[in-house]
Amino acid sequence: MKRNKVFITLLLSMALITVTSALWSCSSSPLEKAIKQALVQQDTTQARFDSICSIIKAYPERYKDYLTDDGQIDIAALASLIEEQGASLRPPMHWNVTQYGLQQLSLTIYFERSGSMVPYDAPGGRGQLKKAVNDLINHFPSGNVAINIVNDGIYPYQGSIDQFLQDRNIYASTQGVGNASFTDFQKIFNDILAAQRPGNVSVLVTDLIYSPADTRDVSVEKIFNEENSLATRIFKQYKGKSIIVHQLMGDYQGKYYPYNNQPFNYTGQRPFYLLVIADTPVMDAMAAGADYAQFMQPAALRNSYRFNQAEAAVDYCVIPDWKDNAGRFRVDHHDAARLTRCEGDKTTGIMCFTIAVNLSSMHKSAQFLADAANYQLHSTSGFTMKVVPVDQSMITGNNRSYLDGKTHLITLTGKLTEPRDEITISLANDFPAWIEQSTAQSDVNPGAPDFATTTLGLKEFLTGIASAFGSGGNYTTIKLHLER
Amino acid sequence: MKKQHLIYLIAGIVLTVLFYVMRVNAYEAVYAVSGFSDQLYNLGLYETIPLITIAVAWAMAGIYYYAINSVRFDRWYHWLVMLALVVLIAPIAGYAINSHVFDENGLSYATESLTFEMVNMMWAAVLFVVASFSMRWWSTNCRHTPIPQ
Repeated sequence: MKRNKVFITLLLSMALITVTSALWSCSSSPLEKAIKQALVQQDTTQARFDSICSIIKAYPERYKDYLTDDGQIDIAALASLIEEQGASLRPPMHWNVTQYGLQQLSLTIYFERSGSMVPYDAPGGRGQLKKAVNDLINHFPSGNVAINIVNDGIYPYQGSIDQFLQDRNIYASTQGVGNASFTDFQKIFNDILAAQRPGNVSVLVTDLIYSPADTRDVSVEKIFNEENSLATRIFKQYKGKSIIVHQLMGDYQGKYYPYNNQPFNYTGQRPFYLLVIADTPVMDAMAAGADYAQFMQPAALRNSYRFNQAEAAVDYCVIPDWKDNAGRFRVDHHDAARLTRCEGDKTTGIMCFTIAVNLSSMHKSAQFLADAANYQLHSTSGFTMKVVPVDQSMITGNNRSYLDGKTHLITLTGKLTEPRDEITISLANDFPAWIEQSTAQSDVNPGAPDFATTTLGLKEFLTGIASAFGSGGNYTTIKLHLER
Repeated sequence: MKKQHLIYLIAGIVLTVLFYVMRVNAYEAVYAVSGFSDQLYNLGLYETIPLITIAVAWAMAGIYYYAINSVRFDRWYHWLVMLALVVLIAPIAGYAINSHVFDENGLSYATESLTFEMVNMMWAAVLFVVASFSMRWWSTNCRHTPIPQ
């Protein structure tokens, strides 16, 4: 009898444990568990993504919602599940997986071969222009690259990619291709944009000097106006495209062709440009993808600006324990942007807290992102902010989940004078000052102090693109709610 | 089987299930620290630790009323010995799992973990009382413990 009771008791206890364990283990599917684990362990790598995809492919019936009709992973559907799982964590975590759908991208280089471009690759120079193009080709992950020569039209490069990379004088070897006496921007851009297929990234290597045929006795203002209208007209037809203008400097040794058609010899530095053109979602994904980091940020980049960059949400979280923290607050479990029970320091009344934010997808220079002057801060209590980049030495075991994957720390300091405050931090998408500073109104005098750093009509051409896309607004906005 | 006793059993099960459903709120109402509590939540410890606590409380009550079930061990202080065992076993097991999971993830919250297990100790005691009053009625020798019927 007694043995029976012991047996029943143990059986009941085991049953209770088993039922609750079973309920617990059945609460989420293996796919959801794998995603959650990757997020919690901060292992948001391509390898981890591939392992998650393998779970979907192992159970195609169960996970058919995450497969396309042809059995491939539906990145958008999976991204949505990952976002949902990430949102259930504390703080909510994000993993941009759209970049993993980019393996099939192709790159088409359009190498301008006008008269004023030839001296950039003179044998005596350091060849920065050719190096920049070679780097673009080498850092493009898929390796699917085509090269064209452009001037009055677009002409396929006759050699192989290896020949191009090893070519010490690309202009000599492409002599006779097209008409180098002028560059027909209208034809070139129209052809590039019309030829671009989904998944194609085009890069125009150019000095961005608008040199139409026969400009004798034409005023420079007239050329500028024509250039501006031309840019607007071309790009207005392609609203779904994004364009990045990279400015780099290169040695220039040879004949320069100014707008008045009286060429002169010039030896020194001159700016040149890489115009990266792609569909906006492709550009967004490349900007977020680690594999494309070197492609998107060429070495020796002087200035850069992306046209048609929509306002995007960024991943951020308030760090609960941080060295600068002052006063008290509690981060809401369901809303990472809401701080409740806020109190200033007992002696000073000052409240200070830090948010970790990932600004890598903004595609801005480190200097730009670390300058608090580029941010607009609105707070009724008058909070102030400072920005510092995240340093690996800052990361410890306990703050890893807050700092991993984040690029900057924004520290907000102030006295909460009202019961509630909404702090808005915006990274303004202003037309960059460097474009104005890099624009020449005349290029007939090589002795001018800014000749080495300016380009004729640059601003007019780029404002033409800007008006086609309607630039402005913010790159991103972060809103924080503080409550006493 | 008296109807009233069955109601006690059902009420005990409902309370225990409710505790499990509301476990995060139950623990964080008493002790919540940003950072540590977030890690407990993300690493699934708010599932594992309450589960262990429930299992220990109900299993120890079951052992007391049906396995031990002895007239030599039916006084209120004998029941208190079982309660003491519950409030020791559940937090120790919880702390061991907590430390193991935190170590695996490179986290270090020793002080917070100890404080959390103090809270767990309290919930373990509550759950043991609930389990005792749910199942004692059918014990042949200990049904009057800790409070006579």
